[in-house]
Order: sequence, then structure tokens, then C-alpha cells
Amino acid sequence: MTHPIRHVVILGGGSAGWLTAGVIAADHATQGPDGLKVTLIESPDVATIGVGEGTWPTIRDTLRRIGVGESDFVRECDAAFKQGSQFVDWRNGAPDDRYYHPFALPGGYEEADLVTGWRQHHAQAPFDYLVCAQPWLCDANKGPKQFSTPEYAAVSNYSYHLDAAKLGVFLRKHCIEKLGVRQVSDHVTEVVAHENGDIAALRTREHGDIAGDLFIDCSGQRALLIGQHYGEPIDSQKHLLFNDRAIAVQVPYADPQAPIACQTISTAQRYGWIWDIGLQTRRGIGHVYSSTHGGEQEAEDALVRYIVGSGGREQDITRIPRITINPGYRRRAWRNNCVAVGLASGFLEPLEASSLVLVELAAAMISDQMPATRDTMDVLAERFNDTSLYRWERVVDFLKLHYVLSQREDSDFWRDHRRPETQPERLRQLMSLWRYQPPSRYDLYRIEEVFPWASYQYILYGMRFMPETRPAGQRPEPVQRAEGCFRETAELARQMHAALPGHRELIDHIRTRGLPRI
Amino acid sequence: MSRNVLLNNVDHHALRIDTRRAPGLGDEVMSVLTFPGEFRQLQAHYPIVFRKDAMGAFHPLALLGLREHENLFLGEAGWDVPYLPLAIERKPFLIGSNDGEPMVHIDLDSPRIVDGGAGEPVFKEFGGNTEYLERVSSVLRALHEGLQQNAGFAELLLSLELLEPFALDVALRDGTKIRLDGFYGINEERLRALDGPTLERLSRSGALEAIHMVIASGMHFRDLIERLERRHAAGRH
Repeated sequence: MTHPIRHVVILGGGSAGWLTAGVIAADHATQGPDGLKVTLIESPDVATIGVGEGTWPTIRDTLRRIGVGESDFVRECDAAFKQGSQFVDWRNGAPDDRYYHPFALPGGYEEADLVTGWRQHHAQAPFDYLVCAQPWLCDANKGPKQFSTPEYAAVSNYSYHLDAAKLGVFLRKHCIEKLGVRQVSDHVTEVVAHENGDIAALRTREHGDIAGDLFIDCSGQRALLIGQHYGEPIDSQKHLLFNDRAIAVQVPYADPQAPIACQTISTAQRYGWIWDIGLQTRRGIGHVYSSTHGGEQEAEDALVRYIVGSGGREQDITRIPRITINPGYRRRAWRNNCVAVGLASGFLEPLEASSLVLVELAAAMISDQMPATRDTMDVLAERFNDTSLYRWERVVDFLKLHYVLSQREDSDFWRDHRRPETQPERLRQLMSLWRYQPPSRYDLYRIEEVFPWASYQYILYGMRFMPETRPAGQRPEPVQRAEGCFRETAELARQMHAALPGHRELIDHIRTRGLPRI
Repeated sequence: MSRNVLLNNVDHHALRIDTRRAPGLGDEVMSVLTFPGEFRQLQAHYPIVFRKDAMGAFHPLALLGLREHENLFLGEAGWDVPYLPLAIERKPFLIGSNDGEPMVHIDLDSPRIVDGGAGEPVFKEFGGNTEYLERVSSVLRALHEGLQQNAGFAELLLSLELLEPFALDVALRDGTKIRLDGFYGINEERLRALDGPTLERLSRSGALEAIHMVIASGMHFRDLIERLERRHAAGRH
């Protein structure tokens, strides 16, 4: 049981497999003679076409950690920048029903009571524009940095929209050529087990048995190891989140110089919502919906209407197969010496681009806490499962929050979201607190939350969930200071607007000239 | 600001150039562009630093002062060190593009231009180049060719992580505070950590010598501060 961990075997390529391989190999000297061995087994079949995926700002640190350059990444993954998400028609469908969930924290939150200041003096104004410069920048299609800003540095906090399939290809090349990862192109036919239930090896068609000490299941929804071999079930969240289908398409820009949105746009629909993600060369657009509440044809019609209404042409649409979503997660992602990362561990609708950030968090934890020996692995596995479960539950809470605050009456879908029995208990408790106090670090208290307290504020107040007056008074100074903070935010927005290039201009510059390393 | 036109012996036949080294003739600049081939002469007198432009590209500069429009080498007595940077010597001429070809241009707004009378003639009576113009043309050529080296040199430094940002905080004796910011210098620790094959490659290409010239030039920051102190003491600003 003091068997040393020397060889990590990852099953499955794609963005999850290669991100995980990259992080582990970069951290553990896989390139060198004494480093941890990393082998990735992936199917030789061509990967599916990517529809465009969103990420969180953590991705910049992850890519830098893996050792890839930002300019190369932007060029090869059809990437564009993302400063946050914009939610349209989620509250009541009125013409002004749109709000941003930007990445930047509300300006001055540490020294002022911004929320009370907003409520008392600017109640008719949108919260997001008052406390953050990014909504202004996104409205103006500004990029988040200048031509001279170094790689991975930000003027305005950002992440990317990217082609996930291209990301996998890009990282594969880097992992093999620069990080010493061994790639095996083959099919796994059988899992060879030890007596104690550990995986001893993966039997492959052409490369024999590939033995290892730690196995990472990145085999997607098939979940060959965690699902099929260990039988760890998916804990379905369909009763809380409803959406179980998606239709995804790629749409070229009507004109090659058309502006690229610097935010993910999520537009609520009768029984679901439509995502609109701008990559360099085309948009990825999809309709996520609940088959319990409506049919495929109407969903497709709504998607086509959205595409045409947003500047696309029906004849340009490239269709992608319908996707069935089983929203849920495995309560135990780590069993014996096998841990699932990515779709194999679970999936929830992409409303807040949680998939890739959960991959990053998992890969970082496995790599940072890589067990040295088999007997210490069980301690780490339990901690990992505890953290993983906590994170999945918080994602469910956060996604549900977008729905419970809606006032839409146009279908049972929206009414059902407001029924208490479809709401997680923890969310209901938090919302009872939030009637009187804003979301804070007391509510989201772990060191690495997936979504920090600020995110909850942007959703709550974007949906105009106005806090009520407290029965007893509080010190006036924090509220007084809020005015100064609002003015500073407005000034910052003006300065950044003047100094930042257009989004498409920035991408064109990176394609031709790249970004400086320092 | 500047008005650059293609030099020709018809429009500019009568031009005379004030070639004195004196204040008020357009040389009050804080820095000038340079290139690796000039580092050896520069490092004897001037700090050599790098700056990043708005496009993210790095360029080497010779520092003449600590603040905008401040040239601490130029006074009533002239230019007080023996070596004059090429980027100063070439004025008021410059290389510009004429139909894609590099050709000698002149900045008609330069205070060095005097129409007729005193000053160096640019063209001879019947239109040929004066020796002065020939000399300036060879300065321009050397500068133009030299500047082509900068992109490759910068890329080399960046690829080996040999450039690092630095800031200089200066407190003069009279209490004036100056911050020199936005410049880059050689990361000497990274340089010392380079392996044999890399050093050999740098040495053979001439880059290693250029890097050491930049490092050696660092001692002149002290000189700049001293020059500024002397100016302040003399009551000038």
C-alpha cells in the first residue's frame, strides 16, 4: 500500500483530457527523466465539431501554467475575448430586460455599501452599469486589453470564447511536443482490475495493456471508468433545472467585419434559453430547453428566428446533431485509484460556462495534491469528492437562481421554476437572508468557490430583486462612500473606453502581430 | 510638429542647415532610437534602455534625460560628450518611403533650416550633393540599416526572457521627485543562468556583446542624475 505513484493514465482526449494532461505534466516534470509519467489514451476517431464554449478568467492562469502562449492560443483555437455574460429577457421580456454578469468585482465593494447606496439613491438605475465598467465596454464592443498589454495580462478582467475541439488539438500538440506526455491512439476494450478494486491497466486493441497508478476518466458522457466500470451513478438534477435537450448550430458572420460580442449572450425562451457565443470566424448558437415543457420543432423555430433576428442568414446555418442532456453529477468522482474529470463526472446546462472551469479546478486539485503513494490517495480522494460535491451543488444553486427570480408567465416552464419544491433548500435559505443583506463572503465562504459572492449580486440585482429596508439602522458612512465609488466607476469606464481598442481590431492585431510576452 | 517631404535639388536648392549643437534647434528630446550596432559607442556615455510601443514592439533607446523634452547633454557650450547618437546627427533629415523605396526626406518644420545666408548648403550650385549631404546620407543609411536589426534582437531577448521592466525613483537634493517608468532592461540573473549552447549562439551572432553593452551602460543613470542636479544648482530647469 506504499506503492509509489509514478504513472498517470488519462482516458480520453478533448479539452478535458488535454487540459488535465497539460496541468499535471507541466507541474510534475513529465518532460524530464525523473518526472511523473503521463499517458493519454484517446480514440482515433475524429473529434466532433466544436460549437463554441465559454470560459472563466481562471483559464488564463491554467494556460500559462501549461506553458502555452496566449497569441498562439488565440490564433489556433478561433478564440475571442469574453468579459462576462449578458442575460436578455429573463425577467419579464420588457425592452429594457437585459443585464450583465461581468467578471470584474463591483468597484469599491471593500470600502462601501454599494447595494444600499444603489437601492436608496439609484433604485431606477441598472446595478451592473453603476458598479462596473465592463457593461459599458461590452456595449461598445471594446476588447479587454491593448495591443501592448502583455500576454495573459488584463486591462479589463477577461476570459475567452473558444472552439473546444480546437483547444483539444492545440493542447495535444503542446503536451506531446513540449511536456513529454505520451499519446496512445487506440480503443480501450477492457478494464483490468486489481483484487482490491483498483484499476491495474486499460486493455487496448493494438497497444496491449497500459498499466498505471492513477487513472483519470475524461471519456465524456460514456464515462467508461467511473460510470461503466465502477457503476457510480449520476445524481440527476433534472427535477431542479429541467433542461434536457440542446440544438446547436454554427453561424458565420454576415460580414467579415461584423462586430464580435465581448460577452456570452443568453436569451431566455418560452421553455429554455438560447446561447450566442462569438468566436473569431463564426458564432456558436444553441437552444437549451426542457422536453417536458415543449417540443423540438418549436425550439428549432425559435432558434432560427433568433439567428435571423441577430444578423445571421438561415441558409448559412451549419447544423449539428441534437444533444440530449442528462443534467446531474456523480456524488463520488474519485473511486479507488480512478477520478473522473469533465463530462464523465457530470454535466449541467452551460448557462454560466461552468464545464471548463470545473475541469480546471479538478485538474489543479489533482495536480497540486498529487498523491505520492497509493495509501495516501484515499485521504485525497475523500477530500476531492467532498470539494467536488460542494462545487456541483453550488453550481446548481447558482444556475437555479437565474430562474427563480423570473416573473415570466408565458409558460409552465417558468412557473414551475418558481415552485418551492423545485428549489434547492440551501438556495431558499440564502434567498431569505438576501431579502435583507447582499450576498457576501459569509454566504460563499470556501477559498475557491466556482462563483464568488459578486456573481450572485449581479444576478440578483440584474433581475431587480430589491433588498428590503432593515428594521434597525446601520452606520451611514459605508452608504455615503458608495456615491464616490459610483463616480469612480463611471470615470474608469470613460478612461477604459477611450484607451481600449475594438474587440475585432484587437483579435486582428493578435492574429498578425501577436501580443508582447512582457 | 513635423513636415516631412522628399528631398530634391529643385525645391530645396537654396536650403541651408544650422549644424550647431545648441539649444533651440530641436534636440531637446529625452531619448533617441538606437540599434545594437551603435551600442558600443553609446554605452560610453548614455544609458541604453528598451521601451514598448503602442503595438507591443520593443525598441532600444539611448536616454538623454529623465523627463520629457529634457536633454542633459546639450547646453550653451554645445554637446558635452564626444559621441553624438546617429538619431541626433541625422537631423533635420530622415529616411522616408517614396513609392516603397527608402529615400532621403527633410523635415521642413525643423528649426535647423535657414533659408539662404548662414548655414551649411545642402546642394551645390548646379544641383549636386554637397559633402555635407553625402555625410548625412551615410549617417541615415547606417541608422536605417541598423534599425532593421531591432525586431530580431528584441525577439531574441524576449524568447530568452532577458528583458524585464524596471522603474527608477529619483529624489534630487532640492526635494524634486522624479519617476522613470515604462522602461525595460536586461535581466542579469536570467543571463547568468543561460546554458552553454545558448551563450555560444548569442556570442556568435553578436547579440551577447550588445547585451553586455546595455548592462555596462547602466552606470550612466548616476551621470544623468548628477547632470540634472548640476542644472538645478545652476538655476535652470
